[in-house]
Amino acid sequence: MKILPPTLRDTKRYLAFELVSVRPVARNDLIREIFSCASYLVGDMGSSQCGIRLLDFEGSRGVLRCLADSVELTRAILAILSSVEDEQAFVYVLGVSGTVKGATKKCLEHTGEVQAGISDTYI
Amino acid sequence: MSQPRFYDLNVHSRPDGNTEPEQMASMADHIGYSGIAITNHSSNKDAVVEVDMQDIKVFRGVELMASKASKLHGLVGMYRNKVDVLIVHGGNEDVNRAAVENPNVDVLAHPQTPKDGGINHVLARSASENNVAIEFNMDAIIKSRGGRRVQTLSHFRKNLELVRKYGVPMLLTSNAVSRFDMRAPREMIALASLFGMTRDEAIDALSKTPENIIYHNHSSAGPLCEGVEMIHEENLSKGEFL
Repeated sequence: MKILPPTLRDTKRYLAFELVSVRPVARNDLIREIFSCASYLVGDMGSSQCGIRLLDFEGSRGVLRCLADSVELTRAILAILSSVEDEQAFVYVLGVSGTVKGATKKCLEHTGEVQAGISDTYI
Repeated sequence: MSQPRFYDLNVHSRPDGNTEPEQMASMADHIGYSGIAITNHSSNKDAVVEVDMQDIKVFRGVELMASKASKLHGLVGMYRNKVDVLIVHGGNEDVNRAAVENPNVDVLAHPQTPKDGGINHVLARSASENNVAIEFNMDAIIKSRGGRRVQTLSHFRKNLELVRKYGVPMLLTSNAVSRFDMRAPREMIALASLFGMTRDEAIDALSKTPENIIYHNHSSAGPLCEGVEMIHEENLSKGEFL
């Protein structure tokens, strides 16, 4: 099938985030937890309006995609997340961007200060 | 416009939880707060914690636990001069009422009872007269699920309606017991939108209300009266108010 012309495609936003947890978390566990939080909070209808998709997740950083008009709701869903696989964790959104490239940049911008903090104070 | 400074005025540390106050403060600093208040329950010995951090302000606070309303006023007198932020542990109809009727109280925390939001028109009016802020604690939304969460959200919605009507200061807090209970200011704003709080109200509840509480109580800041506003020195140097 022919793909939609750009003007008819959904506008999306890309959220750069950091998952703060004691132990490293597997990508699949995080996906499962995010979707479970979404279905608890907003149900099937709300989840479909958010269009959440985890694009990238490595170490503790990742990029998540959602639809442009549900950024706040997506943020709330991420804020509801309080554990992954029974381990305490939370999501901290580093920034929102209109492109994957922009979101990745926001991820990288924060690198320095985070690692300095993590090494001695968080664990 | 300058970036607002965000504060979380209800954070617990050891001995309420297992986290050291310094860990709480550095986490808060990392996720973008300018200051927090460590408010341990008064049922602990040495509840008031004093911490000095470089990058973030840590205010002294206490959360008063009173079994009966009659005991609350004594506790308020005992702690008022020792802390910057004086919170009352709500959740009981009589205690809620005693808290909002006492002008020396800064915040009534989690007033919601098992039955309702814990606030009615009478309490809201007293809170407004005595300038007692009503807290919306986000941990109630984060930590509960299913029916409990539904109930919490509807209690918050009702409280918000009353607080708006009577012009009561509103305060948004994490009520964190562990450092993983904290949420960044932007996430708090998103959580508050779940029960109908607007973005501007949420920003005020995270910055303006806490600043009013802190600077009102800080002895060094001097007395503030109606029509007199605190201006931060660095803002003044930028010529923002000129």
